[in-house]
Amino acid sequence: MAGQGEGESYGVRRPGDRVAVPMNTTRLAVFSPLDSTGRVDAVVRRLADAIALGLLSDGEQLPSEAELAGRLGVSTVTLREALMALRQQGMVETRRGRGGGSFVRVPAELDLGIHLRTFAVEELRDLGDHYAAIAGAAARLAAQRSLPSDLAPLWRSLAEMADAESSAERRRIDGRFHIELAAASQSARLTREEIRLQADIGPLLWLSHDEVGGHDGVAAQHRAIAEAVQQNDGERARALAERHVLDAIDLLIELRLRVQE
Amino acid sequence: MIAKSDVERSGTTEQAATRVCRVAEEMFGVLNEVRELTAARARAVRDSGRRLATADLEGLRPLLFRRLGVVLISGIGFIAAPGLLADAPWYLEWWQESPSGRPSQLLPDLDPSSSAFYDYTHWDWYAGPHAGAERTICGPYVDYLCTDEYSLTLSVPVTLDGLFIGVAAADVFVRRFEAAVLPALREIPGPAFLTNSQGRVVVSNTARWVAGSVYRGTEGFNVKPLANVPLSLVSAPA
Repeated sequence: MAGQGEGESYGVRRPGDRVAVPMNTTRLAVFSPLDSTGRVDAVVRRLADAIALGLLSDGEQLPSEAELAGRLGVSTVTLREALMALRQQGMVETRRGRGGGSFVRVPAELDLGIHLRTFAVEELRDLGDHYAAIAGAAARLAAQRSLPSDLAPLWRSLAEMADAESSAERRRIDGRFHIELAAASQSARLTREEIRLQADIGPLLWLSHDEVGGHDGVAAQHRAIAEAVQQNDGERARALAERHVLDAIDLLIELRLRVQE
Repeated sequence: MIAKSDVERSGTTEQAATRVCRVAEEMFGVLNEVRELTAARARAVRDSGRRLATADLEGLRPLLFRRLGVVLISGIGFIAAPGLLADAPWYLEWWQESPSGRPSQLLPDLDPSSSAFYDYTHWDWYAGPHAGAERTICGPYVDYLCTDEYSLTLSVPVTLDGLFIGVAAADVFVRRFEAAVLPALREIPGPAFLTNSQGRVVVSNTARWVAGSVYRGTEGFNVKPLANVPLSLVSAPA
């Protein structure tokens, strides 16, 4: 059953409830299985990005090590190493004993450079190539197959994004917009891939927009994609969706090139 | 003069329509059980002089658990009209299959002040019954929030003395529905496919019109709305 929740909370949970199926898209992305060679690095990136974006908020308790490792699809050892690295960066605090666990700490100053340093330029380009292929194919199919009822959530998200008051909120709605667009392709695989890629690169792309204050341009690109989908213009939707990803990647590569090793 | 092939097509189309209706009726039959039990509980609580609460809906669980995983159903439950319950303005008593084999409850964020707020009244499976549709079939669509599966949601209104109090609904994976009806579609000579009320193809016997594509009224096809089920069987001569 579909819905459009996403964001801060796992949902309504009362004592005695069974374990919840996490429901919101941002959470799904944050805790979806990792597919990367440097698994410790990948866990660090995923959680650090989520903290930087405010998807995980200050003081929030992370799931238990076993649960988190299971959800991310990594071993407990890998997860512990990652948590240690995050503790060293001051982004996670672990308390022992009763009421203990790992808690999120949002550093006062967030530096995009610190996040970017973990990516080689070549990796960024490759992620962009992959993401553009997925986003472009999904947009083309969405344009071919969409009905007016598929467009309603997209326009609703764009309106909400225009009214959003914080960058974290805009970012959440941005993620939701792209997942709704992918789902309009009618392809479950493309949708899953969109969710996974967003977890890998979405936060960085977003931080790069923040850096250059480029949110108006991003909003215009979103509207243009939605219009092409509405007009059932598959080729234009594909070209615009690819451009949307590649423009952001170019920006990110420029920023990365300026970061000192 | 009527060609032999036309007679054959008409016969097999009729049989396929009957088969699809039987499958759909079975699922709507389950929804009817959920609807009746919910209404009965709501009535008993009202007659005892208090307002329905989330705890009252736990009484639906034995029925929901029995029906989950049979007659194609992968998720099932009752979705309360906003404001119905005494202790929660928004609420779903919704259960789905999980890899562990035990039913798991879906617990979306139902706090309207939260940015993650899940307003289910937007969705066709809620809006349809709320607007008075006796039977709604929503989808096929990619259910990216619950299962990541390509799914259908079937729903019916739940009423108490004619007043709408919520929706009984069930999710069905398209691949399971396909397995149940494709054998009958395959018997039809020539292209044939099922569409939802908006023209989205659900199951098809031809690659030209696969699930997810949209039939926008191409000429040469005969569109046959099914009896009491919001689906159409679209077919053309071989």
